[in-house]
Amino acid sequence: MGGTQSGEPSELARLLAASARGDQRAFAKLYEQTSPRLFGICLTMLRARQEAEDVLQEVFTTVWQRAGDFDSSRASAMTWLITLTRNRSIDRLRRPGEIPLDEATARELVDDQPSPAAHAHSSEQRQRLEHCLDKLEPRQKAAVRAAFFSGRTYNELATQGGVPLATMKSWIRRSLIRLRTCLEHPI
Amino acid sequence: MNATYDEDREDLRYAEYALGVLEADERVAVESEVREDERAAVEVARWQERLTPLAEDFPSVTPADYMWTRIRASLNLAETRSHLAETSSRRLGESLSFWRWLALGTSAVAAACVIALAVLLSRNLAPNAPHVSYMASTIIQDNGQVGWTATMDLQHARMVVVPAKPQALPAGRAPELWLIPAGQKPIAVGMIAAGAPTAIRLDSALLARLGPTAALAVSVEPPGGSPSGQPTGPVIAKGAIGAASESGGNPVAMLARVERVHATG
Repeated sequence: MGGTQSGEPSELARLLAASARGDQRAFAKLYEQTSPRLFGICLTMLRARQEAEDVLQEVFTTVWQRAGDFDSSRASAMTWLITLTRNRSIDRLRRPGEIPLDEATARELVDDQPSPAAHAHSSEQRQRLEHCLDKLEPRQKAAVRAAFFSGRTYNELATQGGVPLATMKSWIRRSLIRLRTCLEHPI
Repeated sequence: MNATYDEDREDLRYAEYALGVLEADERVAVESEVREDERAAVEVARWQERLTPLAEDFPSVTPADYMWTRIRASLNLAETRSHLAETSSRRLGESLSFWRWLALGTSAVAAACVIALAVLLSRNLAPNAPHVSYMASTIIQDNGQVGWTATMDLQHARMVVVPAKPQALPAGRAPELWLIPAGQKPIAVGMIAAGAPTAIRLDSALLARLGPTAALAVSVEPPGGSPSGQPTGPVIAKGAIGAASESGGNPVAMLARVERVHATG
């Protein structure tokens, strides 16, 4: 299931395009092929099964209704689907009071992120990104990863990491700028 | 110099959006820029492309089978949504009178109708068959009269329990609803009212066990519910569960919609 691998667009992009035209079989196939990855994202970010199921349903409802918005010149199909899923999960996280964040969960966010994919199995883009992440200071790299996998705000990340808000902001902003430079000018 | 600084600042916001660290209001602001400004859309997409390879580290988890059922059901609703919106007030009126009709003395007849409808529409009694999105149950008391009818909306993971002619309970006692999967212990569904419809959210454990081999039952409990997690008082009513197939504009679906509008919480 290499999502962002090059050469992947055709199959998923074709299924998305067919779904946009109302092809239910293509949509079923799309669900079959992508729902485990997308559900894994919902579960990891929301850490509550029922919430994750609600978001997964929302994602696929949106895919069916708005598959036509997918622009293959701008992103790969899998990136589009992952982005949609992360965005919906983040929207859910931002809704006040819905998912109580207990201490145990907060600790997990720091310690219990997904571990980096084994390099042998990861895509070329993933390896390039890892190369650039490795150039960051360890704490900054950890902050970027925590942000990506948890979907938490600067404020929440600062609280959980036990650092001032300004420090968390500067770690992540600097990291983002350095990542951009590194990804665009690989040395 | 300033322009570059501003551009950098902008680009950083797009990066922060793609990473997911912005507050809700800041996210809304970026999203509206993306809709209105082609350049913003391109920059945000570029950041997403940069960061998304990290998503390869998320685990893959196959969702439960009923998720596909729920999704399919929600899409059928979506197809009729525009039509519903046009006539929503009229339909709401109609369904409200259906509610009142159910709530009045004719409830037993109404309950029979719900079941007849379920039977008429059901083509397949397997709970996870793709087209089943509603289930119904008539909960019959020991005296042979219908106590409640329950309609389960699988798509929205909710159940509506409408009283028909529930028997009077002693003061300080209240009816509690249970789901009994074949050969298993009862699972608490929730307290139900004797004089008004009750909306209950179904968690995934309950959803997974709904089906034609399961039954619903009502027991007499203290007002806060059974303290032990199992029925402590007598069971006063029972009902089998039948599948009701989805079909455009059926009253069961309408009930579920009305319930969401009026009885949330």
